[in-house]
Order: sequence, then structure tokens, then C-alpha cells
Amino acid sequence: MSMLYDEGQQAIATESRRVLDARMEKARLLRLLEQVGEADQPFWDTAVEQGWTALAVPEAFGGLGLGLVELGLVAQAAGAATSGAPFLTSGYGLSSALLSSANVDLQTAWLPRLAAGEVTAAIAFAEGNTILPAAPAVSFADGKLSGTKHAVVGGAKAHVALVWSSGPNGPVLALADLASVRRSAISSYDNTRLHADLIFADAPSSIVAEGDAALAMARDVLARMAVVTAHEQVGGAEALLHIAREYAVTRKAFGQPIGAFQSIKHRIAEMYGLVEIARANCIHAAASEGQPGFLIAAADARISATEAYDTNARDCMQVHGGIGVTWELGLHLHMRRARSLAAEQGNLLFWEDLLVNQLTGEAA
Amino acid sequence: MTDLATFRSNAIAFLDSMVPKYARTARAGNTVEQDLALGREYMAARYDAGFGGINWSPDVGGQGLSNMHKIAFDAEEMERGMPVQFFGISLGMPVPILIAYCEDKDFVKERVRKALRGEEIWCQMFSEPSGGSDLAALRTRVEPDGNGWKMNGQKIWTSWAQYCDYGVIVTRSDPTVEKHKGLTYFWIDMKAKGVEVRPIKLAGGDSHVNEVFFDDVRLEDEQRLGAVGGGFGVALHTLMIERYIATDSAGFGPHLDQFVKLANETEINGKPAIEDGRIRSAIARNHAMRAGLDSITKRAFLMMQAGMQPGPEGSLQKLVAVRSRQKLSELAMDLKGNDSFAFDPHAYVKTDWGTSWLNAPTGRIAGGSDEVLLNTIAEKVLGLPQDHRPDKGIPFNQIPA
Repeated sequence: MSMLYDEGQQAIATESRRVLDARMEKARLLRLLEQVGEADQPFWDTAVEQGWTALAVPEAFGGLGLGLVELGLVAQAAGAATSGAPFLTSGYGLSSALLSSANVDLQTAWLPRLAAGEVTAAIAFAEGNTILPAAPAVSFADGKLSGTKHAVVGGAKAHVALVWSSGPNGPVLALADLASVRRSAISSYDNTRLHADLIFADAPSSIVAEGDAALAMARDVLARMAVVTAHEQVGGAEALLHIAREYAVTRKAFGQPIGAFQSIKHRIAEMYGLVEIARANCIHAAASEGQPGFLIAAADARISATEAYDTNARDCMQVHGGIGVTWELGLHLHMRRARSLAAEQGNLLFWEDLLVNQLTGEAA
Repeated sequence: MTDLATFRSNAIAFLDSMVPKYARTARAGNTVEQDLALGREYMAARYDAGFGGINWSPDVGGQGLSNMHKIAFDAEEMERGMPVQFFGISLGMPVPILIAYCEDKDFVKERVRKALRGEEIWCQMFSEPSGGSDLAALRTRVEPDGNGWKMNGQKIWTSWAQYCDYGVIVTRSDPTVEKHKGLTYFWIDMKAKGVEVRPIKLAGGDSHVNEVFFDDVRLEDEQRLGAVGGGFGVALHTLMIERYIATDSAGFGPHLDQFVKLANETEINGKPAIEDGRIRSAIARNHAMRAGLDSITKRAFLMMQAGMQPGPEGSLQKLVAVRSRQKLSELAMDLKGNDSFAFDPHAYVKTDWGTSWLNAPTGRIAGGSDEVLLNTIAEKVLGLPQDHRPDKGIPFNQIPA
């Protein structure tokens, strides 16, 4: 895959930005911040209508047969708009797992519905601050899952979950229908991420992968979702760069635009640098999907994008001064999202370790 | 046009044949003068093999190939450590400006050939004690002298001037107009009467830069490049030429692999340093940053190949790479502890952490300081306002000193 976007890909980038610019409403997002377990339904309807849920699903399963590059571009637009639904990323995570599982029954059962946006997924790997625990507390036996996954992203609304669990012969990646699973939504600082505890009590589940294959698949799913998330982070970080820049050329103090002061303009130039480095890593990672260096490329993208979004959220507020910290201006939507995305799919510590392990050839 | 892949393999074949005599390893322990002599030989061989002036027009003696061909060659050459440092500026800026502005075409052809073969070296004289970043603040002045000019003043930070035959220079021809408007550009003979070169020893111990003094130096009007008062435009043109240069995400310091190797071989509190979280974090952050810069470079290359204009993000390379090299070099020295004290002033900056550390400030200042680069990105890329400029709109000789 080339590192230069082709015409179709550029069109996806432009169109997704245009649609979201027209439909995303700051007032709605601010309201949703204070509602626990509520999704941003207009965004999800848009994603389904625009075919974003189908982008990376093969045509044989009712998808569009595109890939990580295209999904990344949509995620970038979604990130710029702080759009409120985690399911584009997690749906891609589940469909990638199913595709690599070679389990035709599961593929036929779920992929067309994921592509059509009828079904939403959650990826329940982490426990506490451990992204892929060696001995997960949630256990799998005789086709049933038991135990609790805390604060699963998308957990409050998802229809199915891909769960990292302990089986009789090592780890199991299990697919659970959440219809009968008890869930407890968590009031979080970024509520449209739909964090919820999933409480499995002998929940019927299917094996997607077991043992070493489960570990390899879990890591691949995380890496793929990390690349999507990194694009989302770049979209957010770039939006903040533009917001800071606009404010710096209009707001005046001491008789001149504040953007004429080097303390401000250098800060904004640094924001630009972080965005471009992360963007370049994202493009490289998406283009190296399925190739040997993918895990390293994904880690590079994830690390630089997390740094870019967190830093730009901090610095954009700082450039604004007092107005920047008001509820109404909504910069905190980005600040909150920067943090929630930083913790999803593995935090910086996880990706730093994974990257160094890859560079030194150590087993993770 | 030669197919790029074929060109690259020809270049590799040529360069590999040069390695035994000219590569860095073959030159270990040489004096600067010995390296310069070898450098001249190598340049002549390079020219004779058809790799001189790769992206220059055949009209002036170049190969007429694309910028991509030049970048490809430069990257292979840099990897092998050829003794080309003396000729980089000469061929990078002054000679192309001579080609663009000098009207005596026979003179130009002769100079180009000799410069490409390493027989003559050119320097670029812009910075002065009163102005480095603020180029247009320069004070070296020329006055009409019969049908020519007479020059007095001083330049500084002139690379390799002690070995140069010619140079290009920006001077002030009219102090009564605005600072940018009173400048005129010339080429000069560095061996002319009244030109004195004094090397400056830098913090790292070497002396590749110089002060150059001018005492009633006579210039013919034929030496003028561009219009009287048009010197600032020619100077900007000079700085714009070298956009197609090889970049280095290691900031022209050691590769990250060398840091990883060091961390593998070193212990902290009885455990391998590579297992220490602080070290791991530094490796990961640096890797992510350098990978980003490499991807920017790779994409710019692909865009140029596709006939597109690369984006402005290429301007981040030096800023980001060199300052991170500086900090990583400090950390590498910390890792080495007492073993880091031993210092060889002639060690190679890309393999020695101490040399990399001590010379990093030069890298962060030369060719545009970090602060100037940030200003450039802010103003030219992001459209932020210029700084407060009390020197604007008034004659040079009325600017408060």
C-alpha cells in the first residue's frame, strides 16, 4: 500500500470531514457529557448511512472491501469532530479478529451485521491497568464466560464483546452476545465512550482463538485498533492546532494579536510539529497493514499520536487563557477525549514496552 | 533520464569502489589537511565517473538528472562516509548562485568544472557579528570606487573559508534606505588583497568556521550578482536552493540502534539497562519521533517522484532531529557513567556520543536556530503574525543600535 493517498482515499477524507462538519453540534456533545451511558446517536446514524461501518469488511460479507487507510481517514475526521461513539474502532477490531480466525460460522453470523451497522461491538481485553493480563480474571469454560471486565469502552451499549479470558488450556478470545449480560454503566469524564462494567455469569460464548493463537490475535487486534485510534487522535490534535491558531490571530492583548508573541507562536508551531510527525506515522502504519513491520509502525503511530493529542489539548487551552477553561467553549471536549483515547487500546506505557520489546527481539 | 533504480545501483557500484581508499574507516586518524587532499581526489573521481552536478543542467557541465537522483546518490554517499564535507556548501549554494546570476558564461563553466572536481572551493559569506538570524542587519559595506567597488567589514561563521578560492557575499551598498533594500550581492576572490581569514575554534575543538575581514578589497562591477540594491533577493534565492538535501532523523548524530545496543550492554542497579523503564521510554519516544520524520521524508520523496510539491512538514526535520539528538546523547553519556569521560575530539559525530553531545549546540544554531525555525513555521506555514519589528519601514542608518 502506498504512502500517498489515491483519489478515492482523498475523497473519503474530504467527504467524511464535510458530513461531520455539517452534522456535529457542540451543544449536543456538551449535553451528552453529563449523561451516563448515552451514545451520540446522530453520529452513529451518520456512520451507518455513510457506509463507514462497512469500509473495512470484505465485499463477500456485505462490506466495501477497503482497509485501514480508508478507515483511518474517517477516524481522523471523527477525531476532529470529537464525535461520540467508540464503535467504528471496536467494530473494526472484532471484524479483523473474525477474519483472521478462519471460523466461517462466526464470520457469516457477525460480519454482515457489523458491516450494516446493526450490531455494535466492544473489545474487552484489559483488566485494571493491564492491557493484556497474562492470567485474566475473567474465565472461559464449557462455552461460558464468568467474571467481570471493568470499564469496558462501548460496554454500555454494545451488542457483542470480544473478551480476553483464561481458559483451561491458556488464554481464550471469546465472543459473547451481551443481550443477557448484566452491565453497569460508569459515570466517566467522557461519557459518550460508554464505559461500563460487563458482568459475565455463565454467559454463552464462542471461541474465536485459543492459546498462543489467541495472544497473537489479541495483539494484532490491539495494533489495528491502535492505528485507527491514532488517526482519531491526529484528527483531534490537528483540530486543536487550528483552533489555537485561529484564536491567536484574532485575540489581541497589549495592542497586538497574541499570535505575535513568541511564547504563543512557538507553542503553536510545536503543536504543528507533533501533528505532522504523528500523521506521518499513521500514514506509514496504515500502509504497512499486514506486513512484517506493522506492530512497530502501529506503536510509533500510537505513541506519537497520544503525545500530540494530549499536548495539543493542554496547549490549546493555555493559548486561550480564561475562556479556554469554560464549559461553553468546549475545548474540554477535546481534553477529555485526548485522555480517554490515550487510555483505550493500551496506554503509552504499554506501547512503549511493546515497541522496545519489538526492537530488541524480546518476548513480550 | 536514467531510471532511478539503475542509477542507484550504478552509484552504489561506484561508491563501493571508492570505499577502500576514501571511506571514513580508511581515513581514521587523518588530519584535516590529509582529509582535504583525499576529498579533492575523491571529487575528481566522482566527477569523472559522471556523478558530479547530478541535478545540474548539462549546459553548465551537470548531468541533467532529477533532484531524486541527487538525493539517492547523496544518501548512499553519506552512508559510506566519503570526505565531501569541504565541498557541501560550495556546491550547495555559492556555485548554483554563480550559475544563476553571473553573465560571463565561460567563466562560470570553468568555475563549475573546477568546483565539481574539488579543485576549487567556494564559501558563502552572510552572517556577521551584528547579525546571524537577522541577515539584513549586516554591516559590511561597499562604496563605488571608479568603475567598481571597494569593500570593508567583517563576516563570521564562514565554513571552510580557510581553504576557499572564491566566495559569495552580501554587502550593504546603501545605508540610507530600509535594511532589506540597501544590499548588493557579489562573488569575490578569497585570495584577493585585503581579504584575511582567521579560523574560529569551536566548543568541540575543531575549526571549520572562520572570521573573514575585508580591508579596502577591490571588486569589479562584473563581480556583482543581481542588481544594485537587489542583494536580499539573491540571498533568499541562495537559501532556497538547497531544498533537495538528504535529511537525517538522527539529527546527524548516532543512530538509535547504537543507543539500544548501549542499553543492552550496560547495567543499572545490577539489571540490564534495557529493562529500565526510563531507558525504555526514551528509546520508544525517540523511535516514534524519528520514524515520523523518516515517514515525512519518504512521503516527500514519493510526492516529488509523482511530480507533486511536498508539504511544508519537511521544515520540521532539523528542528526536531537535532534537539532530540542532544538529549539522547546526554542520556547515553549518563548510561556510560565514568566511561563517558574519555573524549576524543576527532571522534565521528555519528558514532560517538560525547562528540555528538558536544557538537549538538552547533547543529541547533547553524542554518537557522531552533527559535528562528519555529518562527518560520509559525509565520510561513501557519500564517501567524510577524514579531514586533521596530526596524521596519525606516532607513538602516536610523535603526536604534
